[in-house]
Amino acid sequence: MPAVLRRIPAGVISTVVALIVWQIIGSVGPLAGDSFATATEAIAALVEFLGQSDFWTAVWQTLQMAIIGLLISVVIAVPLGFLIGLSRFSYRSTKFTFDFLKVIPPIVIIPIAILVIGPDVKMGVVLVVFANTFSMAIQTAYGVRDADPVLLETMRCYRMGLAKQIRYARLPSAAVQIGIALRLAISASLVVSVVAGLVGGAGGLGSLLALTQSSGNADETYAIILFLGIIGVAVSRLLVRTQRRVIFWSGK
Amino acid sequence: MNARRLWRWLLAILVAGWLPVILITWWWKSSATSDNPFFPPLEMIWEQFKLNWVFTNVPIHLVPSLENLFTGFAIAVVVGIGLGALIGTSAGAARYVEPIVDFFRSIPPVALVPVFILLLGLDSGMRIASISFAAAFPILISTIEGVRQTNAVLLDTATVFRLSPARLLWQVRLPNAMPVVFGGLQVGLQIAFIVTVASEYLGSGFGLGAFTLTATDTFNILDAWTGVLLLGLLGYVLSLVFDLVERASLGWYYGQKKLA
Repeated sequence: MPAVLRRIPAGVISTVVALIVWQIIGSVGPLAGDSFATATEAIAALVEFLGQSDFWTAVWQTLQMAIIGLLISVVIAVPLGFLIGLSRFSYRSTKFTFDFLKVIPPIVIIPIAILVIGPDVKMGVVLVVFANTFSMAIQTAYGVRDADPVLLETMRCYRMGLAKQIRYARLPSAAVQIGIALRLAISASLVVSVVAGLVGGAGGLGSLLALTQSSGNADETYAIILFLGIIGVAVSRLLVRTQRRVIFWSGK
Repeated sequence: MNARRLWRWLLAILVAGWLPVILITWWWKSSATSDNPFFPPLEMIWEQFKLNWVFTNVPIHLVPSLENLFTGFAIAVVVGIGLGALIGTSAGAARYVEPIVDFFRSIPPVALVPVFILLLGLDSGMRIASISFAAAFPILISTIEGVRQTNAVLLDTATVFRLSPARLLWQVRLPNAMPVVFGGLQVGLQIAFIVTVASEYLGSGFGLGAFTLTATDTFNILDAWTGVLLLGLLGYVLSLVFDLVERASLGWYYGQKKLA
């Protein structure tokens, strides 16, 4: 490999190669036709989208569902999980129920949500809350229980009260787990709010995607997928970086 | 089993079980006189559930869903582990492939369904293609990761014994990657389930998802409730079965960890 090429990061080279392969598949290769968009067509459609206010309205609607839903689930799940984690009995008696509800994907309850709430932004918010709350509460409770046992014993020896135990042992260990839960929840909230729009008609980018697909517009469909992928990568990179900085004591 | 272990086991079930029992009883009692059309009495939902799913509609709606789910997941496992093992053995290849894989993983899995509808229409082929495509990425990523971080001492030992590259991959790298790979398999199975449901919502006709959403659209509230309950139950059972399989196949690993 020539020295000049070696200085270019691997990611840039593979992205360029992937774009070229994409272009070839769509224009001369096996997938040429109306139902597949080439790289240039998709990028052109995306650029056109970026200049339209309707597109940004859709982006804002999706963000609204994700952010409001996330805030509500944090407000419910963190205090709830903290209380549950303080006693062994409450931890063990809620674990099964919450684990059960945690593994049920929110997409499953969409049909009932459409009936009860109706297909709008509010429904998206409810789905995001359903998706996050149980796993976040379990994770918080786990963090509270995960406090250093030697530290707790020591505090008990010195007869330090519950308030001090919470302040110096339970909170720091819970914060690590809340951070991890929050990182997962932010990505999940974005995904769920897109799904709420796509499947449940809640508006936003998901509904726009459903519209472009059902009208058979491949270029715009691929443009939205491209946009979702880029946003997804950016958000997850940002989260990993932020987490390392904020919870610096955990080494995770 | 001696009496003490039996007693402990019973106590654990009691502690875990009282909350769901209370919740379900509360739902049953409070909905008994409900005249809200969207929240019918649980007793009526239960009767309808038995009518639908024991076992009249099982071959029409449940079986095709499960078939698509498992076919799609199986393809994802073979492709994900196969490609992942190849890419993971070469550190250079992994550096080039990772950004692309990362991009595809970051797209909400359900958002890929419209792309496959445009390409393949609304039949089973589209459903299986979307399921396997979306579920393959977490498996691929975890396999690359797992194969790459093989213990250096093991690799040196394998070199001393002059293992062929194929045997090295098959007998040393892959078994050691398994605990990491299983993490990807778990996420992959969840995604496979979600995409199965989504592909049925969007491509109507047959399947449990299509049944449920059609019931919603036609204001057939009882049927919609039974569909949602069965889907939720299915999601839980899948994760339960996966945990059992994982524990059975990674028994050696947990044993090692306990010793260490």
